[in-house]
Amino acid sequence: MTQKAGLVHYSGHQYLRTRLVLSILSGKAVRIDKIRSDDKNPGLRDFEISLLRLLEKVTNGTVVEISVTGTALLLKPGIISGGPIIHDCPLARSIGYFLEPVIMLAPFAKKPLQLTLRGITTDDNDLSADLIRTVTLPHLQLFGISDGLELRIKKRGAPPAGGGEVQFLCPIVKQVKTLNFAEPGKIKRIRGIAHAVRVNPQFSNRMIEATRSILNRYIPDIYLYSDVYKGDESGKSPGYALTLLAESTTSALHCSEAVSEPGIAPEDVALRATRALLAEINMGGCVDQKHQTMVLLMMVLGSEDVGRCRMGPPTLRTIQFLRDVRDFFGTSFKIVPAEPSNVDSSQLIYSCYGTGYVNANRTLA
Amino acid sequence: LPHRRRRRKDWMKLIYSTSLTPEQILSHGGESEAEKVNQDEGDDDDFFRIKKKDDLSRGEELDKTKEALKEQDLKQWEDDDMLESIRHLFITGESNLEE
Repeated sequence: MTQKAGLVHYSGHQYLRTRLVLSILSGKAVRIDKIRSDDKNPGLRDFEISLLRLLEKVTNGTVVEISVTGTALLLKPGIISGGPIIHDCPLARSIGYFLEPVIMLAPFAKKPLQLTLRGITTDDNDLSADLIRTVTLPHLQLFGISDGLELRIKKRGAPPAGGGEVQFLCPIVKQVKTLNFAEPGKIKRIRGIAHAVRVNPQFSNRMIEATRSILNRYIPDIYLYSDVYKGDESGKSPGYALTLLAESTTSALHCSEAVSEPGIAPEDVALRATRALLAEINMGGCVDQKHQTMVLLMMVLGSEDVGRCRMGPPTLRTIQFLRDVRDFFGTSFKIVPAEPSNVDSSQLIYSCYGTGYVNANRTLA
Repeated sequence: LPHRRRRRKDWMKLIYSTSLTPEQILSHGGESEAEKVNQDEGDDDDFFRIKKKDDLSRGEELDKTKEALKEQDLKQWEDDDMLESIRHLFITGESNLEE
């Protein structure tokens, strides 16, 4: 992690997305080498190349140089331009893989982004379109990014053939607000979306039944929605999934998701999602594990004041992200136990001094 | 006090002042491991470095946001007592349990 003037250097293919995002936001070039250099099939994968192409579309003046073998890349960031963009995502990854980094960039664009992505809408690896719509975007609202923020799921696409389509609309902001979120509150409602495409539509209802069998004991305010997509809107492959989210009295969101697998009954898929939600609720905090990095990034970009947030222990990705943020922005977080007197509590308070990041792209317009 | 120190990780030290990989930090990785690695780095005299076996044998790790659901983590929720144990986190539960 040597750092020369305006150039940050990493090795390896991991954590590529957040590093590219940090480079574009900070304006510092990033060089990544040894990308799968020991692998039988070395270099960047097709979906990573596609991500770089998408970032080129979202920005203006970005230069991407990839070595002949594909094992090294240099990205010199341009400005975030936004505007209407269409991108076909390769079927190796779901659209969540591509959308997650774009969500971190879009609020700081020159023009509001209207991005259409085509591909797989729900899979096991990345946030599904449902999770992004119902959980990720509300997290942006904590930072004052709200009016006109929307994700429309036009068509669903299950793996392997995909065929889904979503439209992401994001407003631009001058600056993001400082976060002060230390009170997790108590869970007051649970919402869920069950969808089933190109399979028996009863599968949605079977998932909902199974989930209720566990969750009904806790609170009455449970609404599980069976989302029906028919014909052309249901993509090219069969599949179903259940997305669950729990909201607390202080609007803390915890979410989980389970996706259909061959040979597994809809009831079992639903039970997996339900138990994962309980595990997530049990972990506590104000932000769930999947959204740690996004929230921490927005805290770094916040106005010049101390931002605080209570969360569970950092994940692998979060640990690396905290280090990478320091490389690009020089910001390190203070991380202390949330309840120093309670030895059983693993919750932590993350705090940092915001960099006062201003959307300079916007003022150029 | 020493008891507490054993239980709690010093996250800031582990993240910012060691060169442990995130995997090492999250695995049992306590203070002792941090010291071990710091010592290893002292020996930069060796011209050649032997590649660690787990570096090579490790399969492709996807850059993914959703971590795989762990079966044993989910299994514990089949137990009724476990289900009851988090009732205080809901508005319908008693509030004096935690506070």
